[in-house]
Amino acid sequence: MLLIGKNGSGKTTISVALQILQRIARDTNRVGELVKPKDLSRTDVPMRFEIEVELEGTIYEYVIALEFPEGFKELRVFEEKFTVDGSPVYTRELAQVHLQRTGQIADFLIDWHLVALPIVHLKPADDPLLIFKQWLARLLILRPIPSLIIGDSEEDTLQPNSQVTNFGAWFQGLLTEAPSAYFKIDGYLKQMMPDLKDIKNQKVGKEARSLVVRFSNTQKDVTLPFADLSDGEKCFMICALVLAASDAFRPLVCFWDEPDNYLALNEVGHFVMALRQAFQSGGQFIATSHNQEAISRFSDENTVVLFRKSHLEPTIARPLSELQVTGDLVGALIRGDIEPQPQ
Amino acid sequence: MNREQPHVVILPEDDRNRQLANGFQLQLNWDRQRWMRVLPVAGGWSYVLPGLSTLQMDHWPQRFAVLLIDFDNQFTARLQTLKAQIPPHLGDRVFILGALDDPEALKKALKKPYEDIGSAMAEDCRQQTNTTWGHPSLQHNVAELERLRQRVVPILF
Repeated sequence: MLLIGKNGSGKTTISVALQILQRIARDTNRVGELVKPKDLSRTDVPMRFEIEVELEGTIYEYVIALEFPEGFKELRVFEEKFTVDGSPVYTRELAQVHLQRTGQIADFLIDWHLVALPIVHLKPADDPLLIFKQWLARLLILRPIPSLIIGDSEEDTLQPNSQVTNFGAWFQGLLTEAPSAYFKIDGYLKQMMPDLKDIKNQKVGKEARSLVVRFSNTQKDVTLPFADLSDGEKCFMICALVLAASDAFRPLVCFWDEPDNYLALNEVGHFVMALRQAFQSGGQFIATSHNQEAISRFSDENTVVLFRKSHLEPTIARPLSELQVTGDLVGALIRGDIEPQPQ
Repeated sequence: MNREQPHVVILPEDDRNRQLANGFQLQLNWDRQRWMRVLPVAGGWSYVLPGLSTLQMDHWPQRFAVLLIDFDNQFTARLQTLKAQIPPHLGDRVFILGALDDPEALKKALKKPYEDIGSAMAEDCRQQTNTTWGHPSLQHNVAELERLRQRVVPILF
């Protein structure tokens, strides 16, 4: 899926909202650590987050609304709900939680500055919360800044941060969890950089590792520290890990804010298509873009246009297929003619 | 894309044909994706030939070009018009394909998004079937498709 829209229309905000939901799934439960009062553009209505996902035929929905009453120093939970196929697992209003999973009905109170999702646990054999949280915790939200990625690590992880500054730890975590991922990483990168020989994550201390990349031709080799790769080459590396992770941990969702950044124009189309194709057989790839080559690699049915009249009004989202586009899409975008009307 | 190796460039007439091409490309094996490139839309069937002239086909002998156009129910006349303008020595590396009317009519007939139609066309090429290419809106392409199957399909599948 592609999200397009003018600057300030709310594309990146979607990734920020997903990050907040993901932090909840990764067990951050203090509301004050998730959202600050300064994040509210209006205090007269609650700030609502909603996510719905279908995993292996089951639909999971999570809703949380936060409010900032007068006299409070931090936000509190106004409402919270988790449902499976439309049936509530628990609902909550302020401090009152009502658990109503089959055979496990209970009412209890919880501090209204704490989110219930990380706290509520059901019997392991029947815990849709665990399935949902694991999926959400694993979601990839990427806005890489290649100049900050140096390839050093002191741990391993399956959870890259949004700037991917922990690339080395992610590389190590992925290969530890799914060693066959190296085949995918190597195969993709050799298409992008035919002179690539291998990548090594060398030990440089008791716990520390550092990535080095070896290139070769028929006569000689050259080994470069990861930090010395170009910004675009680092993006190829990130893409390779996303493709491998998509293979290893289906169904995975990847939100990549402007994946065309740092890439040569002749690489953009193939880069986007490789990502789209990787998620065809499970999971979802979501991108934002202003780049015409990237935009052209999506179609009317999987492009969503975001629009906001002003910073005081909410973002409107419409599928491109519902809008009237005169001429070709890129031309219409350049003219600024693609604008959903409020319903 | 290694231009010294056989590769395929698609020149879509318009956005609808571009989306057909996207769907086709999505069905290629990931290690063949880079052998196909979809170029920006030409802006009308009569503009695809000027587009072809920029491809330096003489300079890149392993380059194959697919012109994806609407025939607007004038299949024979339009095909002849375009073929007459293609330099004879390039004829075996240039292919002209498209919906009999336009892709919108095809979309209505098949009740599928453009991308899904493109994917089904690719699947036909992979499986050597005619499930989608045999549709009344596409079956007129039979001769060009046969050439495509001999020269281009082995590059991509």
